[in-house]
Amino acid sequence: MKLRLSCREASRLLSERLDTSLLAGDRARLRLHVAICEACRGVDQQFDVIRRAMRKLSDDPPDAPPPEPPAR
Amino acid sequence: MTLAFDLAALRTPLLRFAQLQLRNASVAEDVVSETLLAILEKPDSFQGRSSLRTYATGILKFKIIDVLRRQGRELCIETGDDESVDDAIDALFAADGHYREPPAAWQQPDSALQQAQFMAALQSCIERLPARQARVFMMREWLDHDIDDICSELGITANNCGVMLYRARMLLRECLGQGWQAGRG
Repeated sequence: MKLRLSCREASRLLSERLDTSLLAGDRARLRLHVAICEACRGVDQQFDVIRRAMRKLSDDPPDAPPPEPPAR
Repeated sequence: MTLAFDLAALRTPLLRFAQLQLRNASVAEDVVSETLLAILEKPDSFQGRSSLRTYATGILKFKIIDVLRRQGRELCIETGDDESVDDAIDALFAADGHYREPPAAWQQPDSALQQAQFMAALQSCIERLPARQARVFMMREWLDHDIDDICSELGITANNCGVMLYRARMLLRECLGQGWQAGRG
């Protein structure tokens, strides 16, 4: 089994982790990759923000969105 | 009569949710109308619990789930440009699997206004997803279905489902990164 994940492979596993338990080997390799890769830490954070926002949209739908801020 | 007035005001946001999920304008219209009628016919069932918006959204979801269960595999979705999704994801990565452009961490939305703007941007980005990815993404994240339910309702494999969710999430990241994040200070 290849030890190192690419960022592309890591992004796929980060997504999968939102839906299902990863296999132990994938979980370990992902944890290692995210620990040393700032880019993938950022993507993990962004997936988390999206999930939490969707949860809010689902459970507690916000009122009408504000108008777009003026263009700069 | 004030309930009827309040419900009329909900029509637009309910329609938006229904279209985000179903991606079929006429079916979306139907489920929203049924939802509003259901509440009007039994006004006592609401009784001021939670907010009318939350209550109406809950009923809408049940009706959407019914539609998906009955018609999920056949439900016509507006054709999207699926081929371009692969290109869009491919473009993010170099041949060795590294990111071409390092994705920056997002600034957290600080104020209530920024959070509201983020939610609006998120909905716009979901609207721009290709129909197939949007449907699966909404079933997972808005209807809170698990993978097995989505697979059986749509007649797809777990792997297929996983790929669509991955693509949806990557596209949403990119869309939010370009729109909402770029517009901030």
